[in-house]
Amino acid sequence: MKKKLIKFYPLIPVFTVYILLFFIGKNVPGMWQLVAMLLFYCALGQAFNIFLGMTGYVDFGYVAFMGVGTYGMALAITRLASIEELGIGIIVAGFALALLMSTLLSLAVGAVALRLRGAYFAIATIGVNEGLRFLIEGARIWNGSEGLIFVSDINNILGRDTADALMTFWADVMVLVIAALAAVVTLYYMRSKIGYALTALREDEDAAKVMGINVTKYKIIAFITSSCFAGLIGAASWALKTPYVFPPEVFEIQYTIEAIIIVLLGGAGTLLGPVAGGLIYGISKYYLAVYVPGFQLLIFAPIIIVIITLFPEGILGMLKNRFQNTGLAHFII
Amino acid sequence: MPLLKLENVTKRFGGLIAVNRVNLEIKAGQFIGIVGPNGSGKTTLFNIVNGVFFPEEGKVIFEDQNITILPPYKRAPLGIARTFQIPRPFCGATVRENIAVGAMFGTHGRYVNVDESLEIADNTIKRVGLRKHRDKPAGILTPVEKKLMEIARALAMKPKLLLMDEAMAGMHPNDIDRMVDFIKKIATEEKIAIVAMVEHIMRALLGMAEKIIVLHHGAKLVDAPTKEALEDPKVVEVYLGKNTKK
Amino acid sequence: MEVEQLTGNLLQGLVLGAVYGMATMGLSLIFGVLRIVNVGHGAFIMVGAFITLWLFNAFGINPLLAIPFAFMFGMGLGLIFYYAAIRKLRNAPELATLLVTFSFGILLEEVVKFIFGSEFRGYNWIVGKVNLGVTVLPMSKMYACFGSALVALLLYLWFNKTRAGVAMRSVVQDSEGARVCGVNVGGVYAFSFALGIGLTVVSGVMLTMFIPVGINPYMGGGYTLKAFVIAVLGGLSSPYGAFFGGLIFGLIENGSYTLFALIPGVEPFAMTRFLSFAMLLIILLIKPTGLLSTK
Ligand SMILES: Nc1ncnc2c1ncn2[C@@H]1O[C@H](COP(=O)(O)OP(=O)(O)OP(=O)(O)O)[C@@H](O)[C@H]1O
Ligand SMILES: [Mg+2]
Repeated sequence: MKKKLIKFYPLIPVFTVYILLFFIGKNVPGMWQLVAMLLFYCALGQAFNIFLGMTGYVDFGYVAFMGVGTYGMALAITRLASIEELGIGIIVAGFALALLMSTLLSLAVGAVALRLRGAYFAIATIGVNEGLRFLIEGARIWNGSEGLIFVSDINNILGRDTADALMTFWADVMVLVIAALAAVVTLYYMRSKIGYALTALREDEDAAKVMGINVTKYKIIAFITSSCFAGLIGAASWALKTPYVFPPEVFEIQYTIEAIIIVLLGGAGTLLGPVAGGLIYGISKYYLAVYVPGFQLLIFAPIIIVIITLFPEGILGMLKNRFQNTGLAHFII
Repeated sequence: MPLLKLENVTKRFGGLIAVNRVNLEIKAGQFIGIVGPNGSGKTTLFNIVNGVFFPEEGKVIFEDQNITILPPYKRAPLGIARTFQIPRPFCGATVRENIAVGAMFGTHGRYVNVDESLEIADNTIKRVGLRKHRDKPAGILTPVEKKLMEIARALAMKPKLLLMDEAMAGMHPNDIDRMVDFIKKIATEEKIAIVAMVEHIMRALLGMAEKIIVLHHGAKLVDAPTKEALEDPKVVEVYLGKNTKK
Repeated sequence: MEVEQLTGNLLQGLVLGAVYGMATMGLSLIFGVLRIVNVGHGAFIMVGAFITLWLFNAFGINPLLAIPFAFMFGMGLGLIFYYAAIRKLRNAPELATLLVTFSFGILLEEVVKFIFGSEFRGYNWIVGKVNLGVTVLPMSKMYACFGSALVALLLYLWFNKTRAGVAMRSVVQDSEGARVCGVNVGGVYAFSFALGIGLTVVSGVMLTMFIPVGINPYMGGGYTLKAFVIAVLGGLSSPYGAFFGGLIFGLIENGSYTLFALIPGVEPFAMTRFLSFAMLLIILLIKPTGLLSTK
């Protein structure tokens, strides 16, 4: 029995962070904005880690899945706005559509691009991201480059007060729920055959095949899972918090980069790493913007270079070595 | 019924014929030594048997099933395991996890869950004497330890056929002795067919082999019971060196 | 009329394509030798553009003369980055090198912004025009085109006729084998990275000769993406492949723009970009060695 429980210990630090964040944001005046940002980065890191960290494949077009998730929510709201009875159900429909669209895209991309390896895969995924953006703009899909704006739709359906509460508070709570879910899924994968298969293929794909691992199957599992979480994050954090969507913004490569930084900083392929990475990245970004506005990147870029060159294992890698063979090891994975 | 049968197998790399019309039969439980100079096609032959390469011509038949173009991950669960000439551990994973992966995905004919495979890994680790390295990442092992770990990973699959591509040139003599003893041990203890590549420096292993296969420029030069093979002048020339006394 | 316009555009595309091709050679060279994708590629082009701008506006130096200066500066930059970080990441996973090269790009952008500010700038180099029948081009564009072709040719000769070039090619083909044959692989890596960056910075000079406006610290991003498409067209690891990839890309970009403009209900600019990324994906999937290779 005890042994069974030990398996869940690593969730304790993760959930502690999330609960603490929530209470700080709720009770310390003026903190919610920072907390919301941290939750977003933690969620993003955890979601991306399931693919990037666990397989070692670099999806440089990851933001595309957040993009289609945002579109999913936006389309549901704009298209169903006339059905008044839906009420809050419209948000549920939005999440469903976001999930559906990111699943479909990840199936399509996964089936073709996952045949490529290394740099070829990274470049192909950049191609997917940019191609999708310019297809939407060029062929004027979903209102093309004018985008979709649906503040008034949300206000009409939910009423002003509920809509405000949704945009300023509940959307962030949803991000928190998504982050927590991603943590649970990550741990489940790590403890199951899926995690072992992913570790093996990350370290040596050809040897993994020889051991009997159907690498394509497991790569696709990780890819779809990770992409679906991205879709949900896009729907909650982008579509609901800022109820409009423009192609150049939701396909902006910078978010992919931020996600990569978070995962690497914290420790790729670990459970706690992306949370630590998200916190550190978010806090430094926030305070650099406050204290040295305009120079954040000038300070940040060299720091990233130094960290990656000197500590390629990330924070968790260091912690793990430090606390190996101690009681804490059960909590830190 | 032979366990493994190769019929006229040919593999080319561009203009180079790496394996040339090889026929081969291996029975369950046999220990077979495979020898041949550098570049003679030994590794390529192993790669064809476990599916890393598909041959251009010929057939690979395992227990009456034609597996010529079966992907490698489907062959492992049929009971085909191997080690690599240059060890390929999953460096970031621990020794225990490495071995568990073998049991988890390569076990023949049945589903092995994580807990069971970790148990199998622990047992196998004891047998190969890597107990004190159990929780270390495989990447930091010494070359011999990596080799031992690879064999353990293959054994954890409970294979019917084990292909051992164990080149040991350049290793310390003590390490070579240790490996040779270990291979001897598993060859006697396990009821599995083993095809092992046997270099000069591991000649001690030849005594155990039921038969010896000599490859030369990709073609099978000799395929005979050990005693006969060791007297064959072609073997003496190709493998044991011209001035070796018979 | 429309046919004439199309040929004119195609010709312009070819001229621009030569510059694009040159602007991708450094990317392909670095990938070919070090297996590293320089995601900060465009920022180095931007540096070349600023060097040209600064030399021209501050000292009235002819952009053609900026080329050797840009090359030396780029080589130096490349060496610094190589020894500061890349060397330690030789065996690191893709992830690390992608992130580090991206950070190089950001670093350069921010430094340039710090020095020059972020507004759009340009310079005005008047050297006459040339009439090509179907279209009239400023001489500066022709210089850019022929300059690029010349650089490509020099690189080709260097690769094939000099010892250092041959050593480098042997590393591209088989780094282990080259090491065994006594090639100083570490030195080749450092030099190739520096050369790749040097070429890229020079291409920034060429590009401003072609388009002498819109120079700003963030101008590189678009070129990075174009360079990816071009490099893939040319097979990703071959610098001359990249040059010809650039020619093809220039033709397709200008040709398809003209054609998309005829279709009602689409935005031709965005569709042209879409087409290039669709091409990238198709080639990666069916012929990852590039359009020109015989393999
Ligand atoms: N993937 C490959 N691509 C091209 N040629 C290959 C490949 N693998 C092997 N070869 C060539 O095929 C031939 C046979 O190689 P193989 O590795 O099977 O020999 P070997 O008997 O295992 O040699 P060694 O004793 O050195 O391990 C060699 O000439 C080798 O260069
Ligand atoms: Mg071999």
